Amino acid sequence: MSNFLLVFHLAIVFVAPIFVIGIVNRVKSLWAGRRGPRLYQTWFDLVRLLRKTPVYSQVTSWIFPIAPLVILATTITASLLGPIVPGYAPLGFAGDFVAFAYLLGLGKIFLMLSALDTGSAFEGMGASREATYSALAEPVFLLGLGTLAWAGGAHSFQDLVIPNGSWAIDAVLRVTFAGAMFVVLLIEAARVPADDPTTHLELTMVHEVMILDHSGPELAIVQYASAMKMTMLSGIIAAVLNPFSETSYPILAVLFSGAFIVLVAVCVGLIESLIARLRFRALPLFTFAAFLAVLTSLVLVTANQGEFH
Amino acid sequence: MDRMLFGTIALVAGAILTVLLPKNRVRVGVNLVSQAIACVCILSDTIPILFGGPELTGVLLWSFPVERIDLRIGAVGAFFLTFSLPMTFLGSVFATGYLAHDIRGPRHVGMHFALLSMVQLSYVIVYTVQNAFAFLVGWEIAALSAWLLVIWDSRNQKIRFAGFNYLVSTHLSLLFLVAGIMIMHGATNSFQFADFQTFLGQPSNARNIAFVLLMTSFGLKSAFFPFHTWLPRAHSAAPAHVSALMSGVIHKAGLFGMLKFILMVGEPELWMGWYLLAVSAMSAFMGVLYTITQRDIKRLLGYSSTENVGICGIGFGLGILGLATNRPILAALGFGGGILHIINHALFKCLLFYGAGSIYRFTHSIDLEKLGGLLKSMKWTGPLFLLGSLASAALPPFNGFLSEFLLYYGLVQPAPELGLGRMPMMLFAGVLAIVGGLSALSITRAFGLIFLGLPRDPHHVDAKAREHPCMIVPMVLHLIGILAIGLCPMLGLKLIEAPTRVLLSLSRTQPAELMTFVPLPLINSLTLISAIFVGVLVVLLVLRFALLPKSNRRHVTWGCGYTLPNTRMQYSGSSFSAPMVAVFRDLLKFLTREELPQGVFPKDGHYDTHCVDGVEQTMFKLLGNGEQVVGNVMRRLPEDTRFSFAIGLAGLLILVSLVAMK
Repeated sequence: MSNFLLVFHLAIVFVAPIFVIGIVNRVKSLWAGRRGPRLYQTWFDLVRLLRKTPVYSQVTSWIFPIAPLVILATTITASLLGPIVPGYAPLGFAGDFVAFAYLLGLGKIFLMLSALDTGSAFEGMGASREATYSALAEPVFLLGLGTLAWAGGAHSFQDLVIPNGSWAIDAVLRVTFAGAMFVVLLIEAARVPADDPTTHLELTMVHEVMILDHSGPELAIVQYASAMKMTMLSGIIAAVLNPFSETSYPILAVLFSGAFIVLVAVCVGLIESLIARLRFRALPLFTFAAFLAVLTSLVLVTANQGEFH
Repeated sequence: MDRMLFGTIALVAGAILTVLLPKNRVRVGVNLVSQAIACVCILSDTIPILFGGPELTGVLLWSFPVERIDLRIGAVGAFFLTFSLPMTFLGSVFATGYLAHDIRGPRHVGMHFALLSMVQLSYVIVYTVQNAFAFLVGWEIAALSAWLLVIWDSRNQKIRFAGFNYLVSTHLSLLFLVAGIMIMHGATNSFQFADFQTFLGQPSNARNIAFVLLMTSFGLKSAFFPFHTWLPRAHSAAPAHVSALMSGVIHKAGLFGMLKFILMVGEPELWMGWYLLAVSAMSAFMGVLYTITQRDIKRLLGYSSTENVGICGIGFGLGILGLATNRPILAALGFGGGILHIINHALFKCLLFYGAGSIYRFTHSIDLEKLGGLLKSMKWTGPLFLLGSLASAALPPFNGFLSEFLLYYGLVQPAPELGLGRMPMMLFAGVLAIVGGLSALSITRAFGLIFLGLPRDPHHVDAKAREHPCMIVPMVLHLIGILAIGLCPMLGLKLIEAPTRVLLSLSRTQPAELMTFVPLPLINSLTLISAIFVGVLVVLLVLRFALLPKSNRRHVTWGCGYTLPNTRMQYSGSSFSAPMVAVFRDLLKFLTREELPQGVFPKDGHYDTHCVDGVEQTMFKLLGNGEQVVGNVMRRLPEDTRFSFAIGLAGLLILVSLVAMK
């Protein structure tokens, strides 16, 4: 059974990113009244970019070509830790969620460094924004997982997401955490309302402005890694809300998680079609709202601590 | 003990010879040889203790008033000696490169190196003696030698001021220490730590007061917030190796003092743990918040020390909670993580300060806003500084990650004994997370501005400058330490096993081992994660450069349509941190000087902002106008009846509570 789950996990991690981006784009097209590109169009885009000869800025150093590979390596390693189906991750150990967050942090640092490497003021601006908003999202992520760990009495990522304790509180905790995680996902994956991936003005970008000077294989790798990160984070939300456990109903659990990732992608697409990007000044408040949600669930667990370990 | 004594004699003899011998080269040579001999001798005594050997004890008979000094190297002392001595030796090696110009010149550099030997001597005293009097002497030797080392360039008035500032602060710390020791002396009529231990073993008011006094003293020594004000000034004034040693090694004595005190208390009370946790979390957060605004690399690294001792302190606080609630797993993870972070911080912080020194010798500037593009010209310092900064942001697969991992893991442990206290513990994990995020911003900013892009000020490009091998070798050795602990966590845990065991033996339940709480599968998983990351990275590198198109095609950076960019248009340090500063603007204080162009034919204007230390400013204001404040109170006392009643009531309340507590 664990072989089946491993195959599913790796398939989601490596293949689904292409479709997740495809679904988001398709939803946006349909909403705008267009037919939109094929769901796996991203695949052709990546292959085309991989074949191209890159052009580097005159200013860049050896950091620039290496950074995309570090980003991809951290994302792949982190994806082995995060669960998609509750109770299963290829590599789980106590406290693995800390390693997950810090591995992604390493990737982000290299993305920012490659942006600063070009000496462009615009890319420096993007790096500065990315550093700020992701630093603010970090406590939301870790505090949320810490609260789940306390409530569930477990220490590893894969066991955190197994229901434990009274179902009502459990449900509230899970929904709150999923909501907060969704905010983290929007910030980390640079999606509306935290960032607009399709904006045309460099001044208003966060993620896209950092990769202005990336071209060819470097651009492909960064884009693929960023899609993979988004898939991973929606996988975690799916695992948290998944009512089926990996041991008793593996097939249902897998189907639910797969469908849920699609749902998250549809939600992202809908949000992108319906609302505008937040002003930069409002973004810390946006993160703070997610932090408050997590804090509320922490208070809830404290108040009911008799029921938990 | 004999080898230890021989090493100490070698150290003192070396210091004397260094001052007396003619010619700088001979002096430096003799000094390095004597330090090396001392390191080998003393480490041959301490390393066996770290790996399970018995404690070493000895007695030194002295004249009145001390009479008898007991010496003991326990596991904690051995741990501190084992990393302090060789690192200070490496600092001296770095000094030969950093001061190469002075060594060739007429100035007597023997004094400087002799002082480095004296610093080594102070470790031997502070970490071994069991007598408060001798402990204070060692403490004072360290303080005075560090002060004299800081003011090496004493012709500069700013450096003299920074040195004086340091001297005053370090003696304030001594004042608190003496007060704490006097309380214990008053209760026991002895200066022996063994007698203190019997006194501190019983809960009493005097013990609580001693705890607060000593924690303040050690906090001042290790630059905990809000006692850190001396630190950024001293670090930016001192030569790079002195900053490195002060931050990484010398001021770890404060943390040693905390551990020593906890060992003497035996079973601590719960509030001690919360107190230490709160102070440390504040240090970690405020320290890292200040780093993001600094433009002087060494000030930045100095504030980062406040952050890192805060992280160590979070570990100790957690450990105390574990002991007080009789939950050994908290004690093991807290003390283990805290002690491991001490050596981790020493490794990466020394590396970074040496990097700053190397940059200074290369460009004659350590101002972030003037540097840039150094990665291309500094072939060694650049990559070393990058890896050191990644370690300092606690990222895997470097050493800082391991210690922070233990702390996170400890903070989310179940502990029903703490009851509602679990919630603040979770929040401390949240503080650790935001500290992680902020330090990621800070290191990206520092490395990105110094080494990437183009030089912001072309005056600071020296075509003839070279990286001195004596400066590179210590950095490489520190990097090896960082990678060894990072890639092989087992090694790091083995290093701290013995000191953690000593602290765990204070627990009421049967003595426990660190390794039972950090089980082998967990360590293997951590190793595996690092291995997978490195493996995937290597595979990707090979694939990318073997299969995918490579090119040397170069073009100008995309300027978003603007065609005449210059190097000063690059993003600056203050703009990089601006969004984050906007979030925390209430906690930071900025000084703005502006002279804007005015009129029909304006002259050149200027505008600069400068982050000042809010605590220091308030302190100076209070000290400067202190008599005025007291005067105001004194004047109101007889005039305002309500005010005098209030003061009288408050006084009465304090008196009654003092009587009630008796």
